[in-house]
Amino acid sequence: MIVEPVEVQDFLLAVIAGALIVLAGAVYALLFAISRIQGRPGLMPFAYAAYATLVGAVVFLARAAHFSGFWTFIAVLMLLGYLLAPHGVWRLCVGTHPEEVP
Amino acid sequence: MAAAAIGVLDTSHLNGGQKLAVKYYTVAIVLFVAQVLFGILAGLQFLYPDFLYGVLDFNVNRMVHINAMVVWMLMGFIGSVYWLLEDEAGTPVVGLKLGEIIFYVLTGAVAVVVLVYLFVQVGPGNDMTRWFINEGREYIEAPRWADIGIVVAVLTFFFNVVATVMKGRATGITGVLIADLLALFGLYLAGMFYTTNVSIDQYWWWWVIHLWVEATWEVLVGVIMAWALMTVLGTRRVVVQTWLYIEVALMFGSGILGLGHHYFWIGTPDYWFWIGGFFSALEPIPLVAMVVHAVYDSGAHKMRNSNHPTLGWVIAHAFGNFFGAGVWGFMHTLPQVNLYTHGTQWTTSHGHLAFFGAYATINIAMFYVAAQKLRGNVWMGAGIAGAWRWKWALFLLNAGMLTMTVALLASGYEQSFIERAIEGATWSGYFAGQSHPWFVQGMQWRMWGGWVMLLGLALLLWDLFTIGAGETRKAYSPSEDEAARTAA
Ligand code: HEM
Ligand code: HEM
Ligand SMILES: [Fe+2]
Repeated sequence: MIVEPVEVQDFLLAVIAGALIVLAGAVYALLFAISRIQGRPGLMPFAYAAYATLVGAVVFLARAAHFSGFWTFIAVLMLLGYLLAPHGVWRLCVGTHPEEVP
Repeated sequence: MAAAAIGVLDTSHLNGGQKLAVKYYTVAIVLFVAQVLFGILAGLQFLYPDFLYGVLDFNVNRMVHINAMVVWMLMGFIGSVYWLLEDEAGTPVVGLKLGEIIFYVLTGAVAVVVLVYLFVQVGPGNDMTRWFINEGREYIEAPRWADIGIVVAVLTFFFNVVATVMKGRATGITGVLIADLLALFGLYLAGMFYTTNVSIDQYWWWWVIHLWVEATWEVLVGVIMAWALMTVLGTRRVVVQTWLYIEVALMFGSGILGLGHHYFWIGTPDYWFWIGGFFSALEPIPLVAMVVHAVYDSGAHKMRNSNHPTLGWVIAHAFGNFFGAGVWGFMHTLPQVNLYTHGTQWTTSHGHLAFFGAYATINIAMFYVAAQKLRGNVWMGAGIAGAWRWKWALFLLNAGMLTMTVALLASGYEQSFIERAIEGATWSGYFAGQSHPWFVQGMQWRMWGGWVMLLGLALLLWDLFTIGAGETRKAYSPSEDEAARTAA
C-alpha cells in the first residue's frame, strides 16, 4: 500500500496530535490577533508558544503516521500555512478597514 | 393595508420575498422536528434492536433522519436568500408568484417522498424502484421523479434570484451568491448520474455531498453571514465583502480537492491518497485564519447588536464550524488514521457536530431574524420578557449535541480498536466491535444527548413563536447608532 498506517499503540496519540494541531493553531491565531489589536506585545510570546505546541504535534503526527517523501512536504506546508495565514489575514484586515482606528 | 403595531405577529411587516421566506422557514422547522424525532427512533434501535422492527425499520428511520436534514437546511437557505434578496437588490423579487407556486410544489413533493419512504419499505430493486421509491445514495435518496422536480423548482428559484439582481442592484454579495448557487445546483446533477458500478457511483455521489458541505454550502453560509453581520451588527459592507472574497478563495482552494479524503478506500486510483491528504490537511487553515478576522472586527465595534438570540447562534456557528469541521474533520482525515476510523461512529460523531455546528446554527440564527421582523422589527436586546427561553434553548441544543458527539467518539474509538486494529476489519470483528461494553455505553450516552436536544428543540419552538410578544420598543439599529455617534 502507498501509505503506512499508524501503529495501533500510536493510534490514540496520533488523533490527539491531529486535534491539537488545529486547536493550537487557533490559540496562536487568537493570541496573535489580540496582541496586535490591543497593542499588548507581552502576549506575543504566548502566541508563539501555542505555535510551538503545534510544531510539536505536527512532528509527532508525522512520525506516528510514517511520513516520508511527499507526505513530509505536506507536513512542512502545514507548518507554514498555520504560521503565515494569521499574518496574511491581519494584513488584509488592516488594508480593508482604512478609516477605523481600533 | 396599514402596518400592524410593534410586538404583534403580522406578515404585513414583511416584504414579498420575506413572506415567502417565512413559508420556507416554517417547512424547514417542521422537517427539523421530524429529523430529531426520527434520529431518536434510530438511536433507540441501537439499544433495543427489536424496537419497531418490521414497522419502521432502522434503515428507514435513518434515511428519513438524514434526508429531512438535507432538505430542511436547503429550505432554510432558500428562505434566507429570499429574505435578503429585496434588501440587497433594492427591488421587489421578480417572478415572485412563480416562486410561490414552486414552493407549494416542492413542499408537496417532499411530503410524497417521505410518505413513500415510510410506507413502502420492502420490495425489489429495479428501475421502477429507482424512479418512484428510492434512488439509493445516502442523504439524497429521493427517487428520480423527485430529482427532476427538484431541478425544476431550483431553476425557478435561481431565475427569481438572477432576474431580481439584474433588475435591481448588483453587489459583491449577490455576485458571490449567484456564482455559488450555480455551482451548488449544478453539483446536484452529479448525484443523478446512473451507473451500475459502485465505485463510479460513489465517486459521483461524493461530488454532491462533499462539494456541498465543504465548499458550496460553506460559501452560501458566508453570504448569509455577511448580510446578517451588516444588519445585526452594523458591520460595513466593504468589510464583509472583502472577508467573503477571502473566504471563497481559501475554502474553494482547499475544499474542492479535499474531496480526495473520500477516495481512499472505494476503488479509486492511488493518487487520491496524496491529493486527499494534501488538500484536506490544509482545510482547517481557513477556519483558523478567520479567528483573526473575528477578533479584529469584534474589537472594532464591541458587539453592539440588534438581535441577541441571532448573535448567540452566530457565535455558536463560529465555534461549531471550527470544532465540527476543523478539529473533528482533521482528526480522521489522513489515510494513515482513516484506515481505522472509516465508517465507524467516529465518522458519525464528526457528521453530527459538523452539520449541526455549521448549518443548523446559522439557519436558527436566521429564524430569529425573521421572528424579529415578523413582529415589526421589535426590540430583541437586553431585558426582553422570557429571555431565559432562547438562552436555555441555545444551551440545551448545544449541550445535547456536544454530549452526543463525545459519546459517539467513544464508541467510534472502541470500534477503531476492536473491529479494525485487533480483529482486522473482519465480519466477526464487526460484531465484536458492536457488542463491546464501551460501544454500548456510548450509544446510551448518545441517547441522553438526544433527549436533551429534544427538550432544547421544544423550547426553541416555543420561543420562536412567542419572542417579542407584548414588547413595544423598537429594535436597536446599529447603523443609526453609528451615524449618531459619528455626528456627535
Ligand atoms: C461543515 C463542514 C463539514 C460537514 C457538514 C461534514 C460532514 C460529514 C459527514 C456527514 C460525513 C459522513 C459521510 C458519510 O455518511 O459517510 C463526513 C465524512 C468525512 N469528513 Fe466531513 N464534514 C465537514 C467538513 C470536513 C472537513 C473540513 C474535513 C477535513 C479536514 C472533513 C473530513 C471528513 C472525512 C475524512 C470523512 C470520511 C470519514 C470516513 O472515512 O468514514 N470533513 N463529513
Ligand atoms: C435527538 C438527536 C439525534 C439523534 C438521537 C440522532 C441519531 C442518529 C443515528 C442513530 C444515526 C445513524 C448512525 C449510524 O448509522 O450509525 C444518525 C445519523 C446522522 N445524523 Fe443524527 N441524531 C440526532 C440529531 C441530529 C442532528 C441535530 C443532526 C444535524 C444537524 C444530525 C445529523 C446526522 C447525520 C449527518 C447522520 C449521518 C452520519 C453518519 O452516519 O455518519 N443528527 N443520527
Ligand atoms: Fe469531505
